[in-house]
Amino acid sequence: MAEPGHARSNELLPREMEITDRDVTRRKEFLEFRSEDIEALTKLNEVAKKYADPVIEDLYRHFLAHEETRAFFHDPKMLERVKRLQKDYFLRLTQGEYGADYVANRLKIGTVHERINLAPTWYLGAYNFYLRAVAARLQEAFEKDPQAAFSSFLSLMKLVFFDIGLAMDTYIYAREMTMRKQQESIRELSTPVLQIRERLLLLPLIGVIDSQRARLVTDGLLRSIRANRAKVVVMDVTGVATIDSTVANHLLQTVTAARLMGASVIVTGLSPEVAQALVGLGIDMDKLNTAGDLQGGIEQAERLLGYRVIQDEPEAASAGAAF
Amino acid sequence: MPVPILKQGDILIASIQAALSDRDILQLQNDLSERVGSARSRGVVIDLSALDVLDSFATRTLRGIAYATRLRGAETVIVGIQPDVAFAMVQLGLTLEGVATALDLEEGIALLLRRGKGSNRRAR
Repeated sequence: MAEPGHARSNELLPREMEITDRDVTRRKEFLEFRSEDIEALTKLNEVAKKYADPVIEDLYRHFLAHEETRAFFHDPKMLERVKRLQKDYFLRLTQGEYGADYVANRLKIGTVHERINLAPTWYLGAYNFYLRAVAARLQEAFEKDPQAAFSSFLSLMKLVFFDIGLAMDTYIYAREMTMRKQQESIRELSTPVLQIRERLLLLPLIGVIDSQRARLVTDGLLRSIRANRAKVVVMDVTGVATIDSTVANHLLQTVTAARLMGASVIVTGLSPEVAQALVGLGIDMDKLNTAGDLQGGIEQAERLLGYRVIQDEPEAASAGAAF
Repeated sequence: MPVPILKQGDILIASIQAALSDRDILQLQNDLSERVGSARSRGVVIDLSALDVLDSFATRTLRGIAYATRLRGAETVIVGIQPDVAFAMVQLGLTLEGVATALDLEEGIALLLRRGKGSNRRAR
């Protein structure tokens, strides 16, 4: 029944989210969802078909009666389409097939809801409504056998919690993807190497320095040293978010590599707290040539290169400013 | 194939053109050691600009050359390490610590002259 394209896209999401068959089995084991439950649910299918429309109507009446969920259904055509999809979902709960295809389908539904920004609270609230609506209908259908109604309901509850688990995973996964994209953007903030005097380069570091970024930074710096024939580099780390021992080691490697090309590096912008922390961590700070701040670093660099900076008399400056 | 060693005043210049075998680099160490003595050189520049890789044996031997020539009164400068080579070296922890480095031949010679380790006039 599923077209090849459809089947293929169904495989993608579980694999992307790293939800394996084994994982699915373990989830069901934890919920104690067994063949008896599958049997019980399949038996409910006829009842479900009878009650599907009224339950769905109730559900959407509930949505439209509350501000937070009403907002999603302003377009009547969209509302009809969604109700139809909802009915498919509802019936699928009692169709007896809860394997890879079912999982992929649930993940897709979760993804859609996350994308439209339906908060977990309302999503879970909707499930709650479902369970109560079905409980009432089961009571009706199994009037003569309340025990059967109750145990069928428990089976349904296991499956619904299985579904909720998958849906929540899609929310979490989506947030993780967003964070990863943001980190990528930060990483891509290009790290310029600026020549501020003959033979003197300035490397202002900003953001997160992970090993990938450290590599990019070092590579860029070494090529600039060659291109500009730099002898001194002032590397400012004021804008680096966290400097732990890993980052410190990256910086040390950058400094060492620059030295191999004949350039000495002055590190500026290490706060006293960070400096102390690094010493405490046993980082060999002797290898590092530092200056308190950027100004100090540039002045030190200029001295190393034999520059002398002379300031003109104050009168001359203000005379020029008058007009 | 032995590495050619050129003489410029008090300075010896060895330009390594291609990847050296362990034997070749040990040969270089011997040759430089001998030439520093016979030419009474006060500085050595080893140019690595033609290399795209430098292994740990070569790095250790270069340090050895620097220390040995220092014992004979000459300062050694390693020049011409390319960006990729420098990066690979630090990843492997090969830092050439204690050995002077410069960007290229010109800078290496300038460094030696600044340190008074070479002149075009012989001291009498």
